[in-house]
Amino acid sequence: MTITLTVNGVSYTRDAPENKTLLHFLREDLGLTGTKEGCGMGECGACTVFLNGRTVNSCCVLAVEADGAAIETIEGEAGPAGLSEIQKAFDRNHAVQCGFCTPGMILSVKELLKAVPKPTVEEIKEAIEGNFCRCTGYEQIVEAVLDVTGQGPKGRLDHV
Amino acid sequence: MVHEFQYRAPRSLSELLALMAEHGTSAKVLAGGTDLLPNIRMGIAKPAFVVDCKRLPDADRLVFSPAEGLRMGHGVTISAVLRDRTIREKFPLLAEAAHELASHQVRNRATVAGNVVNASPCSDMALPLLCLDAVAVLTSTSGERTVSFREFFTGPKATVMKPGEFLAEIRVPASSADRKGRYAKLKRVKGHDLGIVGVMLASSPEGLRVAVSSAAPTPVLVSGIGRGLDAEAVDALVQKAIKPIDDVRCTAEYRRYMVGAYIRRLLPEVSR
Ligand SMILES: Cc1cc2nc3c(=O)[nH]c(=O)nc-3n(C[C@H](O)[C@H](O)[C@H](O)COP(=O)(O)OP(=O)(O)OC[C@H]3O[C@@H](n4cnc5c(N)ncnc54)[C@H](O)[C@@H]3O)c2cc1C
Ligand code: FES
Ligand code: FES
Repeated sequence: MTITLTVNGVSYTRDAPENKTLLHFLREDLGLTGTKEGCGMGECGACTVFLNGRTVNSCCVLAVEADGAAIETIEGEAGPAGLSEIQKAFDRNHAVQCGFCTPGMILSVKELLKAVPKPTVEEIKEAIEGNFCRCTGYEQIVEAVLDVTGQGPKGRLDHV
Repeated sequence: MVHEFQYRAPRSLSELLALMAEHGTSAKVLAGGTDLLPNIRMGIAKPAFVVDCKRLPDADRLVFSPAEGLRMGHGVTISAVLRDRTIREKFPLLAEAAHELASHQVRNRATVAGNVVNASPCSDMALPLLCLDAVAVLTSTSGERTVSFREFFTGPKATVMKPGEFLAEIRVPASSADRKGRYAKLKRVKGHDLGIVGVMLASSPEGLRVAVSSAAPTPVLVSGIGRGLDAEAVDALVQKAIKPIDDVRCTAEYRRYMVGAYIRRLLPEVSR
């Protein structure tokens, strides 16, 4: 089926097999490999993207379902001036180790901050409950979010 | 995905019902896809036709009126339930259960309708719908019928729905507004695990209600429990109604124990 969608503001029209996931379409057909595949079953959040303004697991969405949709991926996060504020905070707080979870993690944080500008530690943990990180132990990620929301300097472990 | 199917996204209910009548059990409705797509990937579901219902007009309709109560279109997501002020104020049990369901990304996509049609014994949304006397409006080319959730679930992943039927709407009567209650769900990691056992206590005009998930082939409702009973007596009644099994997540014995533990924990909060 022929679909038209925008990804990070760019419009694409492509043929997509009906059984292809949005995740595989982004990676294989558009070459946007920032979005990762972990479990492929809705559990790990490595494939998180924005679909019409809300985060979803793109492994549980068919590409054909996204016909007419606006998608945002991690490739849209950094602007011409460089990394976004969330990305810089992840960097400053060592919230990235292998980096596999990071694209999804950053988009989940972005979704949280749209609704809650100064989240509590509990709210941060809940917002990223659908994103597995097997490296950092999550503490630096929580610290990065506190940092970017002006709620504490980096490395303040007593917040966690 | 390896399995191949044809995708249809009808723009009207009559078109959707015609497709379902024509293809019967070889067609599957696609709502949020958070059950269906993993099942297709694992080879558990092999539909020849996948019928996306999200492009129907009014799919996301969520309205309350004192005359008609709460009407939830089939496209209402778990996140939409959580965001809705009327639900939070008048039907807080729906929001409590929604909050326990999966992770943020899944809740943004998963629908209440898909949750009950999937009919897992561990369904989170079944419990408030049972406690609040909700009904399902089922539509097909041969007409419409309304089924109470007390009769809806018939076994693990089984419901009264017939091939070709579509769950168009869920209704919660206005008389169920303001029912107080509490929900506790045992799981290893919030956001990832399905429940090990879930217990909801709710007030109702005819006495206390207890709804339990993951402790029988279907979600269970025990109603009409006398108001003055203590936790041991309530637990004894509930233990007679449930039929838990040993499985990968825990033993039947542990499930029975935790049902009692949650009743003891929640009863004082609900009787207050
Ligand atoms: C990681 C993960 C965690 C999860 N955790 C939980 C949890 O904690 N608690 C819980 O209860 N569930 C959980 N689930 C299961 C699932 O997310 C829910 O059951 C969800 O509500 C299903 O809704 P959906 O819209 O995604 O359904 P879909 O997958 O689109 O559909 C589910 C089934 O219902 C049918 N269907 C859907 N809508 C209709 C309709 N209107 N009429 C007729 N048939 C219909 C479909 O054909 C399919 O068979 C989890 C799933 C994942 C992937
Ligand atoms: S790859 Fe999509 S949730 Fe894991
Ligand atoms: S940094 Fe490796 S999984 Fe999170």
